Amino acid sequence: MSGPIVLVLRLITSFALYAFLGWALFFLWREVQRQGQSLANRRVPGISITVKHADDTPILKHFAQPEITLGRDPGCDIPLMDDTVSTRHAQLTYHHTQWWLEDLASMNGTILNDAPVTMPTVITSGDEILCGSTRLTIALSPNVVIEPTLRLEKHE
Amino acid sequence: MHDATQSRLLRWAALVLLIQSTILTISPAVRERTWNVDFRLSHWLGFFVWLVLMNFAHRSTTQQLPERDPYLLPAAGLLSGWGLLTIWRLDETFGLRQTVWLAVSVIVFISALYLPKNLVFLRRYKYVLLSGGLLITALTLFFGTNPLGVGPHLWLGCCGVYFQPSEPLKLLLVIYLSAYLADRASIRLSSLPLLVPTLVVTGVALLLLLVQRDLGTASIFVSIFTIIIFLATGKRRVLLSVIFFLALALAVGYFFIDIIHVRVEAWLDPWADPSGQSYQIIQSLLAIANGGTIGRGLGIGSPLLVPVAISDFIFAAIAEETGLAGTMGLLALIWLILARGMITALHSADRFRRYLAAGVVAYLGIQSVLIIGGNLRLLPLTGVTLPFVSYGGSSLLTSFIALVILLIISNMEDSEPAALPNPKPYIFLAGLLALGFAALAFASVWWSVVRGPDLLNRTDNPRRSIADRYVLRGELLDRNNQPINITEGASGTYNRVYVYPDLAPISGYTHPIYGQAGLEATLDDYLRGLQGNPASLIWWDHLLYGTPPPGLNVRLSIDLALQTEADHLLDGRVGSVILMNAQTGEILVMASHPTYDPNKLDNEGDALAADESAPLINRAAQGLYPIGTALLPLMRAEFGDTQPTEIAMNEFHQKLGLHQAPLINMPVSFDTDNQSAKDIKVSPLQLSLAAAVLSHQGIQPVPRIAMAVETPEQGWVVLAAESQPVELIQPRAANEAASSFIVEGKPYWSHSGMAVVDKNPITWLLAGTLPDWGGTPLVLVIALEESNVSLAEHIGNSVLDLALNQ
Repeated sequence: MSGPIVLVLRLITSFALYAFLGWALFFLWREVQRQGQSLANRRVPGISITVKHADDTPILKHFAQPEITLGRDPGCDIPLMDDTVSTRHAQLTYHHTQWWLEDLASMNGTILNDAPVTMPTVITSGDEILCGSTRLTIALSPNVVIEPTLRLEKHE
Repeated sequence: MHDATQSRLLRWAALVLLIQSTILTISPAVRERTWNVDFRLSHWLGFFVWLVLMNFAHRSTTQQLPERDPYLLPAAGLLSGWGLLTIWRLDETFGLRQTVWLAVSVIVFISALYLPKNLVFLRRYKYVLLSGGLLITALTLFFGTNPLGVGPHLWLGCCGVYFQPSEPLKLLLVIYLSAYLADRASIRLSSLPLLVPTLVVTGVALLLLLVQRDLGTASIFVSIFTIIIFLATGKRRVLLSVIFFLALALAVGYFFIDIIHVRVEAWLDPWADPSGQSYQIIQSLLAIANGGTIGRGLGIGSPLLVPVAISDFIFAAIAEETGLAGTMGLLALIWLILARGMITALHSADRFRRYLAAGVVAYLGIQSVLIIGGNLRLLPLTGVTLPFVSYGGSSLLTSFIALVILLIISNMEDSEPAALPNPKPYIFLAGLLALGFAALAFASVWWSVVRGPDLLNRTDNPRRSIADRYVLRGELLDRNNQPINITEGASGTYNRVYVYPDLAPISGYTHPIYGQAGLEATLDDYLRGLQGNPASLIWWDHLLYGTPPPGLNVRLSIDLALQTEADHLLDGRVGSVILMNAQTGEILVMASHPTYDPNKLDNEGDALAADESAPLINRAAQGLYPIGTALLPLMRAEFGDTQPTEIAMNEFHQKLGLHQAPLINMPVSFDTDNQSAKDIKVSPLQLSLAAAVLSHQGIQPVPRIAMAVETPEQGWVVLAAESQPVELIQPRAANEAASSFIVEGKPYWSHSGMAVVDKNPITWLLAGTLPDWGGTPLVLVIALEESNVSLAEHIGNSVLDLALNQ
């Protein structure tokens, strides 16, 4: 009689062992899901950019996305009709609750407030960016940055 | 969230260990198949200590490291608890010691949680730590001992407590290298700063290998060093060149260093020397094979057969008792720690902590792959421990310190990961470890499921004789159900008793050291219950108990009353007697002298094997003697008074079956060399089959000794003869020939013949009932290794008279 009892116990051990591993996998999946959601919930504060090329009329553009590319390529978010601008010249990204300006190895470089951009640099309202002969003025929207909703689950 | 995950996983881990402990408690009842046993209880101490320690560890980590990785502690906790219970199961003394070490390790683990979280002190005191570790390790060169008394002197010990400094030294090397490399802005391969650590590591590794003969630690040292340099520089040629040098060192070591030579030989071809150099690895594979899919259950297998099962071969012990399901789970648990460790490394806030976490992962991963691979014959055997699982205080303590380092690094409160210029080395390392674990998983499947059944049938599998102690073996009975060989005692101490020891050369023996012989060997499948029982019962018993079902009794054709008389008459002589039913071929008497007492095999086994008078041989079926003039009555039946030619004689021998083995389920011999009629040697059994022709109308019977087997469902089932009787000689000619050798006043014929082998005389006697005998026709053959016709006739008359008057 002891044999069948222990057989059942042996099966339960295997079950419990794989339940442990199953829960671990489930929690890992939940973590992926949660991170995805928290990234999706992240609000990007709006940014307004005034683009002025040479003597043309300045154009005001609004953006609500975390990545803005500048360049001569028509696929760029801010296409610049300027021969002194590279195809993909620079980009603005939002992370760490800041807007960052990064030069994408452009031919003529990117100038931020008269200083060349060599590394990703934080920008703020009123900053002036010079790409080739195009001048861009930054205006950050006043709306408050919404912190990511990280803690969805209740604590034990 | 982290706390909930960790506590949920810890609860499952506790459930696994709770059930394992319950199984271990009941296991004696399963082994002995009765509830009337002493249950195992001592290991519950280990389980409860584990429970309390894990509770404290859980509480202090939630308090001190709120953002830690929640998978590391439960996985490590389950591994250490699993190892702890396995050690309790293998050896209670070591189980108690491991429990104490676990308590020490967890206390150190908890205290380390209160240290500064940025681990700066490790970075600052890197030289102190490494030189301290090296110094203590160097002490083993002078004061080293080995707690087991034999083997490499790797321990420092006093007053019953032993410590192996090379275990923490591995971790100290990781800390030192991480700090050293993180302090340098950029590492170039050709740069001078790399020279110092390289020299230190190479020197220590060589010293360990050449002086301490510690192959495992030396290879782990070199591997850890290589991987951390690879992570820091990102140059794959570091890895390739070290692999090249290791292969070169292995090749050189194979020819010049004996320990490497032995290990590699045992790895490449373990089957060549299964009881010597590769004993460990063969026993490990047998244990893994015995585990099968779900294992035998904790306490029900025989993992103690594997040497050093508590440390080096704990994986084999776990595989035997939890099976493939358990080993896959074990591999997944270690992999979980390594994978989370790699993620921790990538998320670390600075380079020091990144190198440190990755180095700890490399240390845990490589050591696990090395020892599990060694157990599975995937790699040459290196005597290292399985982190968290194996017995050993130094190993357990080091593993828990490694764990707390990973946990502290994983506890990142809103800090950003440091920049990672080149992620390739990390991806490469993770891929390499994943590959290693996949290989281990495949090897586990291979040995436990694919090759398992074959391995278990090997005759050097000691589990067969262990099963004999716990499962009743069938009895050998004579034709009147008188016991010959029986099994006595209670389950767990079953012992074969030979009630009629004079029959030993025929009935044989079954013994844990000397194996099996005679009928015990040829009828083993019935006596062991593997044949004659329903296949479902055999499968069910193997699943439940890992043993065959109770064996079946076998009835022999031997008549003990007649056998006793023959043995009495033959006592003190060298020779054999066969009395056979000439019609059915049933062997009523088969005596071979000198004989031996198999009850005394324990003490006399070696002496018996070396005895020049060869008592172990069954002279009646395996003794081959020249035929001499013994065949005269048969020649008269076949050829009359004419002298046959050599060719005709040869054909006659063929017809009588003297060139073939008799068709009987017992060990027999026949002459394979001499094909000429003059020199042929025959066994008494062959001759009795030939002589039976004269007593039964010229028809040759098929010999039989195992008559019937007692099955649980159908009672006694007759075992059929292996062939049909054949008429060899005209009945009239046979009858006339028999009548011409009649013995005065007796109802039987008799003829004695002489032969000489190497100047030693052989006396043959052939006799049998006359054709007109109304009862059972009998035939008798005697072979004496001396010239003594009158003795042969005396034995023949006495046995025949007794048999005919029954």
